[in-house]
Amino acid sequence: MSRRADLDVSGLPSVVYGPRASLWWGVVGIMAIEGTMFAILAASYFYLRGGAVEWPPTDVRHPGLGITTFGLAILLASILPMHWAAKAAEREDLKGIRLWLIVSTVLMVAFLVVRGLVMRSLTFRWDSHAYGSLVWTAAGLHTVHVVTGTCENLLFLALLDRGPVEDKHMLDLRLNSLYWYFVALSWVVFYCIFFLDPGLLKMR
Amino acid sequence: MSGISAAACLLLFAGHPPAHSALASAGPQAARIESLWWLFFWVCSAVFLLVMAALAVGLVRDRTPEEAGAAPGPIPPEARRRRTRVVAVATAITALILFVFLFASTGTGRAIASLSRSDRSDAMTVEVTGHQWWWEVQYIDPVPGQRVTTANEIHIPVGRPVRIRTASHDVIHSFWVPSLHGKRDLIPGHDSEDFWLQADRPGVYRGQCAEFCGHQHAHMAFLVIADPPDRFAAWLDAQRQPAATPATPQALRGQDLFVHLQCALCHAVEGTDAGGRVGPDLTHVASRRTLAAATLPNTRGHLSDWIVDSQRIKPGNPMPPTRLAGEDLESILAYLESLK
Amino acid sequence: MSIAEVDDIGQGWAGEDADAEERRRLEKTWKVPSNPLRAWFTNVDHKDLGKRYVVTALVFFVLGGIEAFLMRLQLARPESRLIGPDRYGQLFTVHGSTMMFLFAVPIMLGLGTYLVPLMIGTRNLAFPRLNAFSYWVYLAGGLLLYVGLFTNTGPDAGWFAYVPLSGPGFSPGKRVDIWAQMITFTEISSLAVAVNLITTIFKHRAPGMSLNRIPLYVWSLLVTSFMVVFAMPAVMLSSLMLAMDRLVDTHFFNPAEGGDALLWQHLFWFFGHPEVYIIFIPALGIVSSILSAFTRREVFGYLAMVMSLVATGFIGFGLWVHHMFATGLPQLGTSFFTAASMMIAIPSGIQIFCWTATLWGSRPRLKTPLLYVLGFFFIFVIGGLTGVMLASVPLDLQVHDTFFVVAHFHYVLIGGSVFPLLGGLFFWFPKMTGRRLSEGMGKLSFWLVFIGFNLTFFPMHQLGLDGMPRRIYTYLPETGWGTLNLLATVGAGILGLGLLVFFVNAAQALRHGEAAGNDPWGADTLEWAIASPPPSYNFLRLPTVAGRSALWSRREDQAEVTGLRSDRREVLVTNLLDAEPDHRDVLPGPTIWPFILGLGVAVTFITAIFTPWGVLIGAVPCAVALVAWFWPRGDMDREVVMEKRS
Repeated sequence: MSRRADLDVSGLPSVVYGPRASLWWGVVGIMAIEGTMFAILAASYFYLRGGAVEWPPTDVRHPGLGITTFGLAILLASILPMHWAAKAAEREDLKGIRLWLIVSTVLMVAFLVVRGLVMRSLTFRWDSHAYGSLVWTAAGLHTVHVVTGTCENLLFLALLDRGPVEDKHMLDLRLNSLYWYFVALSWVVFYCIFFLDPGLLKMR
Repeated sequence: MSGISAAACLLLFAGHPPAHSALASAGPQAARIESLWWLFFWVCSAVFLLVMAALAVGLVRDRTPEEAGAAPGPIPPEARRRRTRVVAVATAITALILFVFLFASTGTGRAIASLSRSDRSDAMTVEVTGHQWWWEVQYIDPVPGQRVTTANEIHIPVGRPVRIRTASHDVIHSFWVPSLHGKRDLIPGHDSEDFWLQADRPGVYRGQCAEFCGHQHAHMAFLVIADPPDRFAAWLDAQRQPAATPATPQALRGQDLFVHLQCALCHAVEGTDAGGRVGPDLTHVASRRTLAAATLPNTRGHLSDWIVDSQRIKPGNPMPPTRLAGEDLESILAYLESLK
Repeated sequence: MSIAEVDDIGQGWAGEDADAEERRRLEKTWKVPSNPLRAWFTNVDHKDLGKRYVVTALVFFVLGGIEAFLMRLQLARPESRLIGPDRYGQLFTVHGSTMMFLFAVPIMLGLGTYLVPLMIGTRNLAFPRLNAFSYWVYLAGGLLLYVGLFTNTGPDAGWFAYVPLSGPGFSPGKRVDIWAQMITFTEISSLAVAVNLITTIFKHRAPGMSLNRIPLYVWSLLVTSFMVVFAMPAVMLSSLMLAMDRLVDTHFFNPAEGGDALLWQHLFWFFGHPEVYIIFIPALGIVSSILSAFTRREVFGYLAMVMSLVATGFIGFGLWVHHMFATGLPQLGTSFFTAASMMIAIPSGIQIFCWTATLWGSRPRLKTPLLYVLGFFFIFVIGGLTGVMLASVPLDLQVHDTFFVVAHFHYVLIGGSVFPLLGGLFFWFPKMTGRRLSEGMGKLSFWLVFIGFNLTFFPMHQLGLDGMPRRIYTYLPETGWGTLNLLATVGAGILGLGLLVFFVNAAQALRHGEAAGNDPWGADTLEWAIASPPPSYNFLRLPTVAGRSALWSRREDQAEVTGLRSDRREVLVTNLLDAEPDHRDVLPGPTIWPFILGLGVAVTFITAIFTPWGVLIGAVPCAVALVAWFWPRGDMDREVVMEKRS
């Protein structure tokens, strides 16, 4: 048999970013799954609302546009330092990564505190009525995501402290930021339907 | 009268089972659906035979000369063009058949719905409520005293559409009389649109719950009895009467036991103090053909078995076993049998 | 052309003047731990996990089959007192749940995890540890369900668990909770496999395997995986809602407090109908593989086939309401779903026609796998046609929830999915084990299964039209359903016997089977180019591809990939469209942490059945496992940006 031509790939890089990387597809896959889940939860909200006699039920008081919007603002603000952390990862700038991870983690914790205050101020619980079930479930699922995001940041900070940090972690850091954008932005939808909806604003 | 019902029972359970087949239609809706079925059946059968024939012929045919000794790979371009045409034509025919089906199906749907579209403000309304595991049937009447409540048996006049309003307050049931119409789910919390039943021939049509609703889903049947209008009117009139006063001392004693033992907690008999609403209304229980949601013929023996230990017949049903001295049981049976 | 010649082509990959040194290094790098216990808990090899998936799913298949047979015994005659209503409810619920969640989906995805990397010419899945985790979570779900059944806590509200029957008011106890958590387990598992397969198929194909050269089987798994990603979140969410309604008194499905029982049906069937296609589409891929091997032709109409798969995937999401026609939805809405449900017959039809065109005049070799495919044609076409009937609202109103529907979906699922699957297992058994199955016993099992199946399920069409609802544990003699039911039970016996022959054949072949060689069937995809069973690293050198049939279109001087490091688990990542080499990725080796994480997830969900605090309790082992999973062990020989601090 004749000698084959070889396809030599030894010169190719071993860490790449964006859609070129396998892991990017993995993370986008998770975002697609969870995004679908949030979308279906929102659809369930509108389905139940469509069939309801009074929506929201009479015992529901708006927790206040101020504090809920403040919370959203913190959450959205945390996107910026996460973005800068990703940029620093691109440059393999460990100091920069650490700084921006710390800033964003502080914002995440601040958001969780505001989230706690909002939930405490609600006049209903998950077992009050279907509206309550929806609000608490959406907030609960989202809180789990925020807590996970916060823990991931802490994990990266620990890694940056202990080492070894490998080239692959720069990809991980960027994808960590990408995932956080998703977590932060997904709350915008629920903020709108729970707190900004003109029909619900009137109820105060 | 008892002779007639005994004969009906014999007829019912011996030789001629009540009709309960989608292919033995006895009303306009089921008949429409049945003809739609046969259209689908014949066309689909033809399609199936054609596809199988094409496959069989393809299997026994020889390879084309140009392909006979060829290495494995794509089908030669010549043959490929021919096949592309065949596949395209077959696909077009498929789409055409589906369009025919779609129109036929929509047309049938309209025809079924048209029964309700015409103005029928004078039509009789029957409320059917599904319970685990029996059917409560109420004939609505503007005069409260004229309302009739019965169970597991719906009498309708032949040739006249009857408005059916369904409800369920426990789990989902599904109301289905195959010989008269397709099914309708009874969903708690949903007031479903009314629908219509009509029988064109006198007869007994069996119906059964079609949505799994718990342990005794299997024993949740009912009968639709279509009578000529005069007989139906007579039946309705008889049902409007309160329960007959017991004529014999034994039956009188039975009534007393019935009202003061646990029976009355769940069952009602109009004209007595028994007013329970948990189980079927027994005001005219002896006039019914069956017991336990069309599970048993309504005979003294079965009634007795049912009262003593219904759990052997329908395990899991809400009626507890009743411990009764022989004499007490006989009295209650005599009483219930007097409730024509 | 003889099979021996094809073998020669296949041998070529393994290298003529075999680079023994390279082989030795690869063996060392890709080694599966030799201690069997350790290997069991730490293995991340896609072939071993794939086989494990298949075997586990087959065990559940047998269990589900036994349940089915018990139900058939009970229904063989009217008013039989063999099985009471309570046990019968558990049997049909667990049967349905097993077949859908523990057999059909896992075996299809599991077979995919075995075959896809081989077919596209790579060494493992893109995320090997995730694959191990998927298996453990799946196993936990299956065990949970069967611990439930064997302790008389088997779910009993049907495999679609309609509320309110499955809700807190009418199903007290833990039965439905077990069902809901089992759903969550298996969905997590399937979702993880789906993401893994999508990434692997998109990014790890051999150079030259552009999108329009992907084998149809791989396409089918790609479409299936996308359907999983968008369908399964619906059932995860709804089973979470159901569990919360039952455990912490939420009111999603409680009409008295603003909830709605129909919401459950919408959510469940938004998942449930695509689920049918998730089971069925990989089977279409198997059919294409077998057909092309035995006709020695590429499947006719590649583009039409791929577009049909994709179209099926899309339309499959627009059909869910046809499960709800009897709920009395507005007529305008139902017409849309009728149209969609009928239109999905078009892509299915196109595929049937293309396969027929492939077979036409090909004088195929009528071996057992092909017999199963022919059986698939016969049965699936019937199932498809009754499916068209069910799409019609008026007809559906009559036959919905009757034995007609039972017959229909067994025709579609057994005919459309299990027949190709059995054919596929027969087809790939030599590759997986290195042994050939007996043709004689294979044919015997086929005829028994085929005759038994039709005898069991064909009469059910008539029973449904005659008014027999599904899920009844008994019926009265005067209904006249006895004869056909008895016939169905006899058929079930024959069907069971046929499956028994299938398994005996496999057991015998494992011990005494003839050696398979690389390519016993003369097939066209890359897995047949390597040894049977394949070595842990799959390919000595990753192949390149020059056409749709990788082996048949292979040129004498077909290039092979060189320059990948063999001292770490390096694989080639290519770009999405054209599969041009892009970069080299390093895959992780054996690890215990996926198992520990699976255990943590199991603790979370199972304790949550008893107390909501289970979520917090379970979070601890999960967090530990995740950190350990993530933490670099320095064994991948990657470039270090910052050294470990001492």
